[in-house]
Amino acid sequence: MAAAVLIVEDQTLIAWHLREIVEQAGLRVVDVARAPDEALDAARRERPDFALMDVRLAHDTSGIDAARLLYECFGVRCIFVSANIDVAMRKRVAGYRPLGFVGKPFLRAELLDALRHAEACISQEDGNGRSAGTD
Amino acid sequence: MHEMPEVILNVNDNEAARYVTTRMLRSAGFQVVEAANGMDALRIAQENRPAVVVLDINLPDISGIEVCRRLKADARTAWSMVLQMSATNIALTDRVESLAAGADSFLIEPVEPEELAAVTRALLRLYRSEHELRLALAERDMLLREVNHRVKNSLQLVLSMLSLQGAGLRDAKARELFAKAISRVTAIASVHEQLYQGRDPLTVDMHTYLTGLCGELARAGIDDASDARLSTEVDNLHLPTEQGVSIALIVNELVMNALKHARPAQGPSRIVVRLAHHGADRARLTVRDNGAGPHAAVANAERPEPGGDRASARAVAADRPAGLGSQLVRMLARQLHGELSFDHTQEGYATHVTFPLQAVPTWRPPS
Repeated sequence: MAAAVLIVEDQTLIAWHLREIVEQAGLRVVDVARAPDEALDAARRERPDFALMDVRLAHDTSGIDAARLLYECFGVRCIFVSANIDVAMRKRVAGYRPLGFVGKPFLRAELLDALRHAEACISQEDGNGRSAGTD
Repeated sequence: MHEMPEVILNVNDNEAARYVTTRMLRSAGFQVVEAANGMDALRIAQENRPAVVVLDINLPDISGIEVCRRLKADARTAWSMVLQMSATNIALTDRVESLAAGADSFLIEPVEPEELAAVTRALLRLYRSEHELRLALAERDMLLREVNHRVKNSLQLVLSMLSLQGAGLRDAKARELFAKAISRVTAIASVHEQLYQGRDPLTVDMHTYLTGLCGELARAGIDDASDARLSTEVDNLHLPTEQGVSIALIVNELVMNALKHARPAQGPSRIVVRLAHHGADRARLTVRDNGAGPHAAVANAERPEPGGDRASARAVAADRPAGLGSQLVRMLARQLHGELSFDHTQEGYATHVTFPLQAVPTWRPPS
């Protein structure tokens, strides 16, 4: 069955674009969340295989917090999609075992690559039995 | 303007002397905290962030000069002004050593209350102006990051919009036009990655820029051209940003065109992008492919001439307005004050843009 992806992105147009690319990759979008609490609710309900995570979210909230919650509560890892990916940001999320980083503005091909890579990581992990964070 | 009232830290192991100094400072209107040895002084300085540290040299644990050195080396306390004081270590060498260790001023004890107050006020003035500069810099930094984020986000919106619109089209030709528009916007957008990552906003590192751009072009491909091999050979060249963007747009057009039209009789198509010094004060951009037909990259990007030869392709390039791609290349080459030329060898077809190198603008970063 196709991997289930949660999109966390507060800009509707970009979220739409992401959804279109995820579906083009043959994956399933389970929900689109705009803030950390929405992401957590969606993860609880839908148990996605991984998430596409924007770093600056609605109402001044942080995708890094959302990524931490997703990882700690449900073992869900993220591909970070952001306009400010730098060394400091990578360091801050290293503990949540990121599946990839895609800088904005992103290209379809770039995101497709990242999705394929994430899918491979996840299926390998499933093969070995998930190691961390599942409740 | 200051969130916390400024504090003076008075460090002296001699209780009587410490009392006298504190009294003088308090009657001059300052808020004072005290420490009786070097280690306490360092700890209190880290906690209270005093504006000025009045620091005796002879301390029981570590010397006042060492305390000063450590204060200035610690990011938490480096901004405190240090006024070194001594009644005994007052030889020229002592005073010089203190100032060399980072002290901002030196007073010989005993000191008159007026002088202590005046020197402390002078140091406070310095402290405040440094503090305000730091705040202004931090604000600028934040503004720059915010604008950078905004720019990239807006470019993302543009690309998402084009992409969504293009994906809805049935007609292959129309989809291709959207892919070209996206590629052009990307070539312009990707310079921003460079500008904010590098320390120098006036020039762009062409090696990183073109390698990244070609990587994106190779990945995006055009329709079924995904088997193309795209390689780059770029000298270590830093160009003024304006020039760099023009080069990137030319590369984008030529590579897109080669991806579409350069189909060799057998094997995968190979495209090489080269940017190198050409003589003392010029550089040459070359995009070469191993295609079989005279698609003549620039001649007519949108409508390749069937069965034409090299000469006619060149004539077309020179005389006839063709698709937007070739117009862009000619226009941008002109903007670079460059010459456009073509050749056809065993290696394949090549388009060259030879242009004069401009003096690179100098950027003096705030040290």
